[in-house]
Amino acid sequence: MRTSSDLLAHSAMFSPVPQTSAATDGKKKLIYDQDHRGPLSTDTAATLMLLQADNIDLLGICTVSCDMWAKQETAYALRLLEIMGRTEIPVFLGAQEPLLNTKAEAQMRYQMFGARSLGDEGYLGSFAKDAPGRDEINPLPPPYNRFAQIKAQPEPAADFIIRTIRANPNEVTMYCGGPMTNLALAVMLAPDIVPITKEVIFMGGGIHHSTSSVNVYFDAEAAKICFRAGFSKFTVVITDLAEQVHMQDDGKVDEIVQRAQSPIADLFREYEQKPQRANPQRRSFRMPDEMMAANAIDPSIFTGYDEMCVDIVTHNDGHYGDTSFWDADWKNRGGELAGQNNPAIKAGRVQVLNGINKKRFRELFTDLMTRPIRRSK
Amino acid sequence: MGATRREFMKTVGAAIAASRIPIEGAEPEQSSEAVSGAASSPRTPAGKKKVIYDQDNSGPFGTDILGTLMMLQAESIDLLGITLVTGDAWMKQEMAYTLRLLEMMGRAEIPVYAGAEFPMLNTKEEWQLRQQLYGGHRLDPWMGAFNRSNGGPDEIKPLPSPYDRFAELKAREEHAARFIIKTVRANPGEVTIYAGGPLTNIALAIALAPDIVPLVPEIVIMGTGFHTFTNTFNIFFDPESARKVLRAGWPKCSVVTVDLAEEIHEDDELAPGRRMIDEVAGRAGSPISDLFQKYAVEPVRQNPKTRLFRMADEMIAAQVIDPSLFTKSEPMYVDICTTPGPRYGDAMFWPKNWDRAPVAAKTVSASDRRVFVDPRQYYMGPPPSAGVVNVPQEIDHDRFKKLFVDLMTKPIRKS
Repeated sequence: MRTSSDLLAHSAMFSPVPQTSAATDGKKKLIYDQDHRGPLSTDTAATLMLLQADNIDLLGICTVSCDMWAKQETAYALRLLEIMGRTEIPVFLGAQEPLLNTKAEAQMRYQMFGARSLGDEGYLGSFAKDAPGRDEINPLPPPYNRFAQIKAQPEPAADFIIRTIRANPNEVTMYCGGPMTNLALAVMLAPDIVPITKEVIFMGGGIHHSTSSVNVYFDAEAAKICFRAGFSKFTVVITDLAEQVHMQDDGKVDEIVQRAQSPIADLFREYEQKPQRANPQRRSFRMPDEMMAANAIDPSIFTGYDEMCVDIVTHNDGHYGDTSFWDADWKNRGGELAGQNNPAIKAGRVQVLNGINKKRFRELFTDLMTRPIRRSK
Repeated sequence: MGATRREFMKTVGAAIAASRIPIEGAEPEQSSEAVSGAASSPRTPAGKKKVIYDQDNSGPFGTDILGTLMMLQAESIDLLGITLVTGDAWMKQEMAYTLRLLEMMGRAEIPVYAGAEFPMLNTKEEWQLRQQLYGGHRLDPWMGAFNRSNGGPDEIKPLPSPYDRFAELKAREEHAARFIIKTVRANPGEVTIYAGGPLTNIALAIALAPDIVPLVPEIVIMGTGFHTFTNTFNIFFDPESARKVLRAGWPKCSVVTVDLAEEIHEDDELAPGRRMIDEVAGRAGSPISDLFQKYAVEPVRQNPKTRLFRMADEMIAAQVIDPSLFTKSEPMYVDICTTPGPRYGDAMFWPKNWDRAPVAAKTVSASDRRVFVDPRQYYMGPPPSAGVVNVPQEIDHDRFKKLFVDLMTKPIRKS
């Protein structure tokens, strides 16, 4: 078993903060914060999209615990960069625990108050009963095959986020594909980054399909901090929208296996095509993180958004992590009941994507997966 | 002419005063008028269903009143009594409407009982403070008696047309909860309870007399929701009472959700080109036709964009009158959040067989673990005391609308 010291570079080896190079021209500067579950998941698929897109300048990858523990995720992220030939991208080990939540409490809350059951919202990721331990780094299956030679940076993800945003004011898009623990830490340490962050993109919460999602209820306090912080642009993919497209829809998996290069073809063959053929009843997952990546790469795929206010329930009971949404223009609604539909006093302001052109999304996704692997020189 | 407001207040006031819940063992009845004539119903004709109708009967029109009209018109229903509770309006205002409606409908024999004037714990002041802190309801900000524009519990506004004046009819003196207890005990296994408003009266009744729970063949409740929204007025107005009633373990507790109620609105068409409200306004007897003309047909005519309300209380009336209209129902666990805060009054649901729900396939590999939630890894069930309820999932739209229009347009059923 790997130990954590194998993962991180020694202090002398850390790479400088990616500085602005306007030479990068038209590319969107993006910090990719992700609970990077391997070998293939919605997380990894989004990573592949952002690696393949030629209009994204991926400044760094930060990991955070949720789907897996951060160390295991970091092992996957490093090796993925190696087999994709993109070792110039620095990787930062992020928060290994949520701000307040613990496995014992999450389990006990479910026993005491009942777990969510109507959606698939009971999922607790690395807080599952028999999940591996926090410091366990298990070997990586094919096509990863072994641990990477490259190492993660010794600097915590939150510090990297702060320095990068400060060095590139009004230019950095913050992609948060997991719980927002790293961003919340950054905001608490350095509130000055909030007005100079170009955009935050997040997947979490739901309005009708489900009232929360694991990215929020794994670390409800972090979500609350980030939503309330006052970012000028905060784009949210909610479960309702993500549920509209599943990985196995439209035969795209078969097309990708057929036309993509290695290692992308291998990943999809082994972890989507094979399981689906072995069990045709299997319901493939929705595509939330891929939708977020699509929003970063080509926002015109989305047909609109609603200006909304959002707040998070952090009561330590069955509703821990619930999202509450209100309309930003609530004063103009409600008629004679105007004023009774108000947002919570400290609710944050977000833009909730409310429609997607499925055909264009499928085409973008397939195109990114099947084009030649974009390697660094 | 009709009773003056002062006389009306004295009557209702007397009813309220007499309804102070007495200490166990004390004899509550004060006057002969308080004898519940309906405690036992020797006159109930065979084949009729005995019903206690508990309602926040707010007028002049709307889902409460329409539920009431359905129950008054249905031949198969023996309406033992109407018990009122504060919800959509304050109880005294609802009493004014109810008594006058019975008078206009010629049904003075049905006793009316004053019930809980306040919810178990919730207060207007705290609700207003919570609303600032935690936010109001985005989709359905209705707070009934607690609406900002509403007055206090003793304020009784004059009744508009076609009501026009207060009734001469009076309420009984006994508290609604006492009436419920006595009636159920006197007619074991026979009395269906219709609960169209907050569940305060019901909670009071079963707190005083838990023995009545197994004696009620069915209680039908309007409230809770899955996806449309989980926080619904009847429940969040008095979450403590709702939680108590839903956990009680009734032989059958049917819950019509907001999701189902939203499928049919008052201004929907009975058939292409024929709206229900036009049918009723045109063909019903008075006062039903007058009510529909003034409060349904006219507003929509003046503003065609008006969408009339969902038919919630009418649906639970249908569950009482003809449950075959519901083509699919599921048993489910339900519980209500009573933590004062952003989820005060929220409903949570679990399928009854949550622990035997099919996990669609065994996990094929570690990476599939996320696709299906593995019950060995995650407890996915209800809290320890959650109750099981019967939740209608589908209703036959055509048959429901037909039942509704038939009941509204048939000759006014007299005593």
